[in-house]
Amino acid sequence: MLGNTRLQKNTPKPKMVKRKRKLSHEGKWGLLMVSPYLIHFIVFIAFTLLASLYFSFSRYDMLNAPQWIGLENYNKLINDPVFWKSLWNTVYFTVLFVPAQTILALILAVALNQSLKGLKFYRIAHFIPVISSWTVVLYVADAIFNPRFGLANDLLVKLGSEPKQWLNDEALVIPVLVAVAVWKGIGYMMVIFLAGLQNVPEDLYEAAEVEGAGVLKKFRHVTIPLISGTTFLVLVLSTITTFQAFEQIYVMTGNSGDITAAGGPNNASMVLMLYLFQQGFAFLKMGYASAIAWVLFLILFVITLIQVKMQKKWVHYEK
Amino acid sequence: MNQRKVMKLWFAFMTVFALFLAGCTDESSGNGGDDSEATEITLGFYSSGSADEKMQELIDKFEEQHPDIKIKTQNAPYSQFFQKLDTQIAGGTAPDVWLSDGVFVQKYAERGAAKDLTEWIDQDLNKDDYYGLDFNKGPNGKYWAVPQGIQIATLFYNKDMFDEAGVDYPDESWTWEDLKEAGAKLTVDTSGKTANESGFKSNSVNQYGLTFFSITEGWMTVLKSYGGGILDESLQESIIDSPENKEAMEYIVDGMDRGIFTDPSDLQAFQSAMSPFPSETAAMRIGIYARVLAANETGVNYDVTVLPKGPTGERFSPVIANSWIINNDASDAKAKAAWEWVKYWVSEDDVQKEWAELGEAVPVKKSVAQSDMFLNSGDKPANKQAFLESFDFAGTLDVNAVWSEWVKKTGDNFNRAFLKEASIEEALERADKEVQKVLDEFYENQ
Repeated sequence: MLGNTRLQKNTPKPKMVKRKRKLSHEGKWGLLMVSPYLIHFIVFIAFTLLASLYFSFSRYDMLNAPQWIGLENYNKLINDPVFWKSLWNTVYFTVLFVPAQTILALILAVALNQSLKGLKFYRIAHFIPVISSWTVVLYVADAIFNPRFGLANDLLVKLGSEPKQWLNDEALVIPVLVAVAVWKGIGYMMVIFLAGLQNVPEDLYEAAEVEGAGVLKKFRHVTIPLISGTTFLVLVLSTITTFQAFEQIYVMTGNSGDITAAGGPNNASMVLMLYLFQQGFAFLKMGYASAIAWVLFLILFVITLIQVKMQKKWVHYEK
Repeated sequence: MNQRKVMKLWFAFMTVFALFLAGCTDESSGNGGDDSEATEITLGFYSSGSADEKMQELIDKFEEQHPDIKIKTQNAPYSQFFQKLDTQIAGGTAPDVWLSDGVFVQKYAERGAAKDLTEWIDQDLNKDDYYGLDFNKGPNGKYWAVPQGIQIATLFYNKDMFDEAGVDYPDESWTWEDLKEAGAKLTVDTSGKTANESGFKSNSVNQYGLTFFSITEGWMTVLKSYGGGILDESLQESIIDSPENKEAMEYIVDGMDRGIFTDPSDLQAFQSAMSPFPSETAAMRIGIYARVLAANETGVNYDVTVLPKGPTGERFSPVIANSWIINNDASDAKAKAAWEWVKYWVSEDDVQKEWAELGEAVPVKKSVAQSDMFLNSGDKPANKQAFLESFDFAGTLDVNAVWSEWVKKTGDNFNRAFLKEASIEEALERADKEVQKVLDEFYENQ
């Protein structure tokens, strides 16, 4: 607001003054209207962000005042095998999860974009896990992956192989977690895809048909390019959510909700958010936890930047 | 113009909003003028259901007896309570007196959040009258908290299962080897074979001899009764990599290997690691006093006895003294009022009795714990005396300021040995190094 007023005074051309005045008037109203959010942002987000940046350079146990230690936390991070393992696990989780969820959600959306009988039922059925809390989803997951009573082991035994310790096996724990996460998240991405699909103009399909394109060709040359904007959104959203995965892993791998027990076996399912939470709230190493948070932020920032840069190569926007 | 008025109104609104935000952070404004003499203190506790009501009753009685003190309460379920408490301490808004899990007392004490109560305890409490005062003492001999209720472990056993298997009930003569022998007869696989029969399948157990869980109700008891342990007396040095611990670990791993004890992956199958005993999937458990609640709720026919002896006849029973801590930042007046509350809690027979009725913990006051009301209440277990006898060989879980952190390091490594992903030697060696690192990092900066 202030900036604009000053501009008014300094602008020499009368015509421009008129335009500026109008803009600044609208600008004022705009600022006014967003002020509740702005105040909220400054008080609850910007301030806390800066505080956590400061803490990341301090030794801070929450019970005593933070003590500036420079880069020590970051140094420790670099030499902390559990940090690297949790970073690796996070990346592994993302690499499995994002393509799986995106492709399956797209297939599902295409399938449910037809005129089927009971269409609503199917759409709702896939959306139920999305709105259910993790606790509910995990009960269902437990019915499948419980080593003693679960469906998955029943099946394995019937097929003649040995039962598996799904969540206690270092090699299996992340894929199992990903499978459950895909199941929970797929409905949401499906809905986004459905919206994208319904924006594809019918006449393009008709034109393609006239050219003699079959179902697959139409999908490849019409659907995919036209929903690439939606796909991009889905990719960015999924990546961010997996980097922030916490609750699921906390509940599924922690014994009886014990935060310090989560992330096993042998840290095989320790992800960055969980590690951050443990260090900060269970072990009172808030400075160290803040350093992890900032590293996490930087990684996400870079990934999103790359995704945005790459979108020029494949995302198609209609003019 | 009209728009100007709207703008002004809007600004007024935003100012109020901002003031409201500012107001949120500062809840402790002075109280009204009516009872200017009264000291208001804030009392924080973690809790659930019936305990809340009882606590409120006791608070009401306290206020009647102490018209000059007013108590404001703050409570939350266990895990949220401590998260909130830590942030409150950080922000300088913590309660004046709060209930701490026994394993967290040193965390607050060594970081300067708890008030040193040594003088007041020396002055006002006769130490011989109470259980557990010494469990809150730091290595320097100072008292940081006063117990609210005591958790101490005994061996729980399911009488019906023992009868069915034709095995004699455990008693004070038992060693850990006796327990394993009996446990083998009580461990049954899906085809009905017991662990000492040939053809028994240890990977499809239907009923376990002993359920074994994490530190308190798992390995610490065995390690210590074998002469081992985790930390030395200074609580700053790891003693994990010792021959005694190795022997104890061999005993445990063998039991798990044979399917007699639950291993960590068996426990994953139950919704809660606490559930095998009350759900009658395990014939025995190492259990703290609070476990009688779940066992009584499900109606298990059980009793308790003291925990078994190690190979040299040594016994160990882990203790957690959940305690009242007074905020180190509290003003003199508030700290004194808080002390009145603590004294009221531990020394009044009525209070101790009423709280004991909830059946959550062994009463702090010996006279109440040894009374008929506690020992012969009619509820199971019949042999409540075993909890009191266990004080003779009780000890803490080597609790210090970084307890949660070293327990995690130890537990992770022990679990790998339990699951046979690492040898016992490897696990002990690695745990020793990692725990020492945690200790050094903390104590070097103190």
